[in-house]
Amino acid sequence: MKNSVRVMALLGVVALAAAGCGSKPSSSGTSSSAAAPASSAASSAPASSAAAALNACMVLDVGGVDDRSFNESAWKGMTDAKAANSAISISYVSSSSQNDYTPNLNAEVAKGCNTTIAVGGLMTDALKAVATANPTKQFAIIDSATGQPNVYGIQFNTAQGAFLGGYLAAAITKTGKVATFGGLNIPPVTIYMDGFWEGVQYYNKVKGKSVQVLGWNEKDQKAGTFANSFTDQGKGRQVSQAFIQQGADVIFPVAGGTGLGAGAAAAASGGKVSVLWVDTDGCISAPQYCPYFVSSVVKNIAKAVTTYVTGAASGSYPTGSYIGTLANDGTGLAPFHDWASKVPASVQSELDQIKQQIISGAIPITSPSQPK
Amino acid sequence: MSPESSTEVIAHSSPVAAGPAELPQTTAARVGSAAGLALLGLVAVLLLGLGANPGAAAFELSSPSASLQIPIIRVPARGTAVALGALVLVLSGWQLAHGFRRRGRRRALAVSLVATLLAFLCWAGSGTAGTVIDMLGLLQNTIFLAVPLVLGALAGVLCERSGVINVAIEGQMLSGAFSAAMFATLAHNLGVGVVAAMISGGLIGALLAVFAIKYLVNQVILGVVLNVFALGVTGFLYDALMQPDQNTFNSPALFAPVRLPLLGELPVLGPLLFDTNVLVYLTYVLIAVVHVGLFHTRWGLRTRSVGEHPRAADTVGINVTRVRYRNVIAGGLVAGLAGAYITIGTVGAFTKNISSGKGFIALAALIFGRWSPLGALGAALLFAFADALQTVLSIIGTPVRIPSAFLAMFPYLATIFAVAGLVGRVRAPAADGQPYVKS
Repeated sequence: MKNSVRVMALLGVVALAAAGCGSKPSSSGTSSSAAAPASSAASSAPASSAAAALNACMVLDVGGVDDRSFNESAWKGMTDAKAANSAISISYVSSSSQNDYTPNLNAEVAKGCNTTIAVGGLMTDALKAVATANPTKQFAIIDSATGQPNVYGIQFNTAQGAFLGGYLAAAITKTGKVATFGGLNIPPVTIYMDGFWEGVQYYNKVKGKSVQVLGWNEKDQKAGTFANSFTDQGKGRQVSQAFIQQGADVIFPVAGGTGLGAGAAAAASGGKVSVLWVDTDGCISAPQYCPYFVSSVVKNIAKAVTTYVTGAASGSYPTGSYIGTLANDGTGLAPFHDWASKVPASVQSELDQIKQQIISGAIPITSPSQPK
Repeated sequence: MSPESSTEVIAHSSPVAAGPAELPQTTAARVGSAAGLALLGLVAVLLLGLGANPGAAAFELSSPSASLQIPIIRVPARGTAVALGALVLVLSGWQLAHGFRRRGRRRALAVSLVATLLAFLCWAGSGTAGTVIDMLGLLQNTIFLAVPLVLGALAGVLCERSGVINVAIEGQMLSGAFSAAMFATLAHNLGVGVVAAMISGGLIGALLAVFAIKYLVNQVILGVVLNVFALGVTGFLYDALMQPDQNTFNSPALFAPVRLPLLGELPVLGPLLFDTNVLVYLTYVLIAVVHVGLFHTRWGLRTRSVGEHPRAADTVGINVTRVRYRNVIAGGLVAGLAGAYITIGTVGAFTKNISSGKGFIALAALIFGRWSPLGALGAALLFAFADALQTVLSIIGTPVRIPSAFLAMFPYLATIFAVAGLVGRVRAPAADGQPYVKS
């Protein structure tokens, strides 16, 4: 029996070590002062207390640093900041569930981070509590704002970018039906779906068409199609297949990794169906599906993070909040890549006009999820 | 179901052996079940029938590319739902007045549930004018979602029928999914991916076997640890290998659908069952093999006897430990195959935690299916159907918009109710989870 306890303990240690390794920062771009894992809290204190250096840390949401979506963009913002200013040391910890948010945030504070960036609006409550408990520390949160003086809210009015995506989808559909689905029915997701829906309605209005949106209606925020996962590609493919069966030929998945299933469904359709990718430029983050990506509605998290971190390193923490819009390139459409020749030039120039009209306010965005 | 003694289970060749005597129901039980049916009927008539918009509900049963086209079925939504509800009410009345016998009762319940479901579809389809519900697509998606659950549940059957609890199905699937994507890419061969997936699932199965059988570790805790282990190892290797170099390690091809000659041309059934990829065909074969093997071969009898009463089995000369090792590892191989389906069978590249809890749903299907291959198949199909249906419901505008939060729980609710109504009490193999120590 004694032996079995020992062997079991060994397996447990290996399992936990492996689980820990899974979220350990990739060594590239991580300077020595930040390389210590979160568990060895105190050891990094001497290096980070150097006056000029900024120790910027990041708590990622579930999905991992390489989710080809918002975690990846946020981390890219950090690496870009480090590339611009080598005095900045950067590190991140991943969350494997929502239960990790508070421990991760606390660990980053204890580790001696000058500023901790929480990636994802789901962390709002956890961050609010941690920021209240540590009023001398600086924080930032992506996709949310807490109104606290030591928390910088980085938000995006992605409905503006998604409006362009909706117009584009309506302009290229052959079946007269376009579709969108989300990962969860939460504002950072549905704001995209709102914008998409509005873009299609605007197209219908100016062109006198009646393109239908499957999966979402801005007027009915409680309904809609959701995969209830950000990791289950199979579910994403099944939802996309259901859209295709009901006649849609352009799909806009707002569901992180789950959305890759839409790419698989489009590939299986043999080119009849195209996908509008979300958050990042799909042709870069998921190149295997590039031929099916008509474009991507991007949320320029990287740039916002870089601006914040380099600002902080230069001595003054930005205060208040940042809202990414079409005007400041915080959101917008990615290049068309393979579709550059397939999207009519007239549509491309209409998109440019609409962009200017949204910036000037001539076209109002009505999504209730817009950051204020 | 009356609890069967362990010797009976071993003696019978079928897991759902009918009880010895057909006792008539008591009056209270008869009135109770009649009331249950009446409730279903009233829901169908009043809520679904009268709640439906006037106009037709339309159902499509053939894919646009099929050579043999079945015309779209259009029925008046209200009338059909009311008629289906009336049928349920008639069954309820018969039950109240005369009482069905045992088998008839179960059939009446099944007919009532199907009728109510059809009434529900009529109601749902009447919401937006011009909606055509693609029934074939709905069923295709059901199979698509069910395959990993069925394979996972079969893995559980193999393992638990021999008396070892398998909570590690999820971990076996995840490691299988990882290995399939990685080795199919490295070898440029999907077959290699499948074999690698099965081996890595089998390795986790072997770990489970060694700790559970040799070291007598608590099997539930062991399963949880193995799940964390698989999540951690695949996550680490994903970061270390796949993420930096997707092209070398994580860009597998995908199994293409193969349409079987003749069978593939059948209307409805052809595109549904016989125009799919080789992993799904393998699943059909495995269901049959496990069912026949478990209930009609010497191996199966020995497996079940070891799972029910290992001491008795040992007494008659069966090597309990060997049977358990073999079965647990075989279960791992099958769960690894489920993992292969998750990556190279449906979407291709691996991403972290791609199995997303399917192993746990499979575990539930195994239990709801009373630890039998066909029962597990039924439970997995039911869950997958409810899941596919909720997607369709969210897409077509139902007369009353259903909140997405309710739709998200619909597959789970539907499964629980159907199981409570149709399956009743389930009983695990008597020695499930109990290590065998030769005294």
